[in-house]
Amino acid sequence: MKGTLTVRNIVIAGVLGAVAILLGVTRLGYIPVPTAAGNATIMHIPAIIGGIMQGPIVGAIVGIIFGVSSFLNATVPLFKDPLVAILPRLFIGVVAWLVYVGIRRKSEYFAIGTAAFLGTLTNTVLVLTMAVVRGYMGAEVAWTVALTSGIPEAVVGTIVTLAVVLAWKQIGKGKKSRISEDL
Amino acid sequence: MSGKPIIEIEDLFHTYMIGTPMEHAALKGTSMVVNEGECIAIIGHTGSGKSTLIQHFNGLIRPDSGKVIIDGIDLTKKRIDIKALRRNVGLVFQNPEDQIFEKLIGDDIAYGPFKQGLPLKEVRERVKWAMDMVGLNFEEMKDRQTFALSGGQKRKVALAGILALKPKILVLDEPTAGLDPRSRNELLDKIKSLNKLENLTVIFVSHNMEEVAYLADRVYVMADGTDVLSGTPEDIFTDKEKLQRYQIGTPETVQALYRLKDLGYNVTTSAFTISEAADEIIKVLTGGEVENHGK
Amino acid sequence: MASEFELSRNITIGQYVPTDSFIHRLDPRIKLLIFTVLVLAIALNTSYVGNALGLLLSIYLFWASKIPVSYGLSGIKPAIPFIIILAVLQLIFQGNVFSGGTVYFEYGFILITSESIRLVIVSAVRFVEIILLSSVLTLSTSTTELTHAIQSLLSPLKKIKVPVHELSLIITIAIRFVPTFAIEMEKMMKAQASRGADFGSGEWWRIIQRTKDMLPIIIPLFNIALSRAEDLILAMESRCYTPGNDRSTYSVYKALGRDYLVLFIGLLFSLLLLFYPFPY
Repeated sequence: MKGTLTVRNIVIAGVLGAVAILLGVTRLGYIPVPTAAGNATIMHIPAIIGGIMQGPIVGAIVGIIFGVSSFLNATVPLFKDPLVAILPRLFIGVVAWLVYVGIRRKSEYFAIGTAAFLGTLTNTVLVLTMAVVRGYMGAEVAWTVALTSGIPEAVVGTIVTLAVVLAWKQIGKGKKSRISEDL
Repeated sequence: MSGKPIIEIEDLFHTYMIGTPMEHAALKGTSMVVNEGECIAIIGHTGSGKSTLIQHFNGLIRPDSGKVIIDGIDLTKKRIDIKALRRNVGLVFQNPEDQIFEKLIGDDIAYGPFKQGLPLKEVRERVKWAMDMVGLNFEEMKDRQTFALSGGQKRKVALAGILALKPKILVLDEPTAGLDPRSRNELLDKIKSLNKLENLTVIFVSHNMEEVAYLADRVYVMADGTDVLSGTPEDIFTDKEKLQRYQIGTPETVQALYRLKDLGYNVTTSAFTISEAADEIIKVLTGGEVENHGK
Repeated sequence: MASEFELSRNITIGQYVPTDSFIHRLDPRIKLLIFTVLVLAIALNTSYVGNALGLLLSIYLFWASKIPVSYGLSGIKPAIPFIIILAVLQLIFQGNVFSGGTVYFEYGFILITSESIRLVIVSAVRFVEIILLSSVLTLSTSTTELTHAIQSLLSPLKKIKVPVHELSLIITIAIRFVPTFAIEMEKMMKAQASRGADFGSGEWWRIIQRTKDMLPIIIPLFNIALSRAEDLILAMESRCYTPGNDRSTYSVYKALGRDYLVLFIGLLFSLLLLFYPFPY
């Protein structure tokens, strides 16, 4: 039932939407990294997780909730523009889902990681594209931001998504605790 | 048993969200002294300031005014060694099992000691000690998955995660809430032996008066942001007038004895442990009551 | 220092300020509709005059809703230096992209034209307009009203099989759980800090380490959220909630003449911004 709004899809989309809003309105959503922006956002991760766990519809809905929340909370002109803040976010979860189902058979672990990496890049690339289209920055600036800030953000997104999904699905790599090894 | 004071709080005030429409005074002049090695219960209704008070113990909340000295560290000073404070005071929140985040039990318990920068050998010893203390077998459990545990076991893991910090003071916020009776009794025994055998100073918040009667050396009653009453469980549970004024429940044993007393039987209402209460009731049943009436 | 963990303080979404103004009493459906149309119109308008009109309108609406303007602007203050830097950068580098109009200044790669100046000024003003408008909407409309409004505005889409009721239920759940999770997170940060965690004091260039430092709160956040979801799913299914059924609502809105008048003026204004060829 990936495509329809079952009770499960409704509730999970709502709850992940709440997490996205929470990450956006507190500093929890930003991980400080050495980029021009100074932060890597993890607010889009609920959309990726929604896509991986419940399919493209849930992923897209969580993405829109994240977009509207970032639009309403924006303190910079770029994100006070609905075409930059909301529209691109629709695709984060959809891309994550496509990637995940595409390579899930090979390795669950690898599929989740790749879905998170490409889902995050989708966010960066589409937001920057819209920013250029809408005239907030030039293409050269956008490319610089994409490379210096997009790649670290994708790395951060991959680590966080993997940790969260593996913990929830109780998939364990590593059978021994760090303190197990005898000295 | 009671050594020198390890926690001294005088006239403590704390207000949340100062300068917003949600401003709310949680503590309005609370005082409290805890001696080394004591087991202290804090009781009071929701919103009486208990949680705010105990979060001062390890510096999560800093005092607005008043005196707070925890194990020699004066929290009213601007610069304090917060890491040392949090090493010495272990704070166990309500439903601490939520804070487990590692996949394996051993790793989660080792999180705190690793954060302290201890060498692996020391961490390992501490984890083993902490697991022994809460009744988890180190060899058997350390490599188990945390998420597959039962509620009671998760809480033990979370408690061990705090004990592995080797605190001098252990603070627990409603440690047994939501546990089944068996896990509850087990946990209470562990806390008691930590206090009596390992000489940890224990402070716990509880709504369960049986628990208070079983564990506490002394009790503080909080109401509306201040400490309104303190004393031994005997003092508190026998003061019927104050019990009513602050709407404090009593252990069921005490309730039963009060009922007997109201019916005219001469029983000692301070007998609140189950065996003492049973003795009192046996006294009544075996006719001790007739003798006493005669006096 | 005490505010180190006070997460709930920063949450301003859906902070309803009941002043019972005429804006508050408007039909929420009409409010939301006008808001959406106006924001789009403002976003697409690039003229000085159009944006000046938009700014005047948003200030008027704020005034009419009897809410102190500081409520709307408080969020911008910390960002002002950033906005200025961005504007300067735009001014310096965007001339080549938006090179229409008169050239005022040219030196090396720096090219300042009347068009690039327009871009900088208009996007700054547009930003303030949208901040004010969205604040008026969220400060004068309760979240319940907003959800109902979304549901009823989307209801024509039912005809093309869009599950409108389900979508608005998702929004309700999302808004409902934000404060709950904020409280949980505050507790979680305190609990992990009690175990010696510190968030964001590692060396700033170690991205992976810094990310891992956040996991002790991020993993429990998602775990708490998803297990709440499981509880809610169980509760809804055991009460036989079936998606797709027709259902009635508790509150019914009826638009009055006043509401239609406001709607008419709002639409007219938006059409003006969208299609009138402003000379400046």
